Amino acid sequence: MAEKAQKQMLTDIFVGGAREGWNMGVGSIIPNVMMAFIVIKALSITGAMELFGNLFAPLMGLFGVPGEGAAVLMASFMSAGGGVGVMMSLFADGVLSGEHLAILAPANYLMGSTVQYAGRLLGVVSIEARFYPIMFGLVTLNGFIAMLLMRVLI
Amino acid sequence: MANQHSHTDERTGGIGGYISLFTAIVFFSGVLQSDQWWGVLDFTTMNGAFGSIIDGVAFRGTGGSGARDGFLFALGLVPTCMFALGMVRIFEHFGALEGARSLLTPILRAVMGIPGVCGLTMIASLQNTDTAASMTKLLHEKGELNNKEMHIFTAFQFSCGATIVNFMGSGAVLLTLTNADGSMAVPSSIGMILGVIMICKVLGANILRFYLNHLERKGAFQSQANNKNMEVAHG
Repeated sequence: MAEKAQKQMLTDIFVGGAREGWNMGVGSIIPNVMMAFIVIKALSITGAMELFGNLFAPLMGLFGVPGEGAAVLMASFMSAGGGVGVMMSLFADGVLSGEHLAILAPANYLMGSTVQYAGRLLGVVSIEARFYPIMFGLVTLNGFIAMLLMRVLI
Repeated sequence: MANQHSHTDERTGGIGGYISLFTAIVFFSGVLQSDQWWGVLDFTTMNGAFGSIIDGVAFRGTGGSGARDGFLFALGLVPTCMFALGMVRIFEHFGALEGARSLLTPILRAVMGIPGVCGLTMIASLQNTDTAASMTKLLHEKGELNNKEMHIFTAFQFSCGATIVNFMGSGAVLLTLTNADGSMAVPSSIGMILGVIMICKVLGANILRFYLNHLERKGAFQSQANNKNMEVAHG
């Protein structure tokens, strides 16, 4: 395997990685981001987003982010790519600024895709069932700590 | 697993791995972001920008919404994702991950209370959650990791799984967003965000480490519980 890697042209290695990126784009990013845009539009049209924003304003205010930012974190539990989609959609609508995105970005990944990883990681490794809620609590806590850190850093 | 160990061990020890790791950190950190010649060593600079179609309007246009706007927007993310993963593979080829593993392995016990043998799995976990999950299970089954270490290590992996691939794939593009006036919108860098993510991953694993120590003292958790006991517990 090492020999094979040595013989590869640098350009081939780059192209291989870029192809992975393309597959990721087509297979994950585009569908996830598109879904996020549709959900955000549905929430906006029905007025639910405004209610949602007001509901979470006190909590998210601690991190210097509008209440609507909570939608990013909820989406990220399902898929980090979806969380990025929600961020982009809310940025495009002028609800979130670049500063808000910087604060939310690490949290989106720290909490990201954990619903999927519960099966793919916790299930595979055979984590004791009683620790599942603790694992989800920890990733949420990680996200909150990251938002505080980013608020200080930027 | 054993093959992977020996394969990686053969490639460690070279200065090339450290140089590759250092170059990767500089490349993605944003410190060299510039229109000067050294911008060639910066991801964001080299990622570039889409041109305008008319009067400063990008191909996505303005005023779109819903599924179609989402599609065009997402399409614009794909080149960044491709470029980032292409570069990650190049740095990997020159041993950046082996360099990182050599640096990490001796400090794992101090930083998270897990043995150095987790180094390879830890690096794998930054790339692929499923690979790392099966490697972790194997380490536990072989007795390299006890029950407590396995839980701590899994907590580390669970938060921001496949860190590098996921973040470079969809997150790096956040840093390329611009305001209406063309200025960069997000006041951060890939390096800063990845740094915060890694700090929080380690912090979360340590919170679980202290909680498990507490449970162990109360007799509610067994570090040395073997797999048979665990199967009974899952029962």
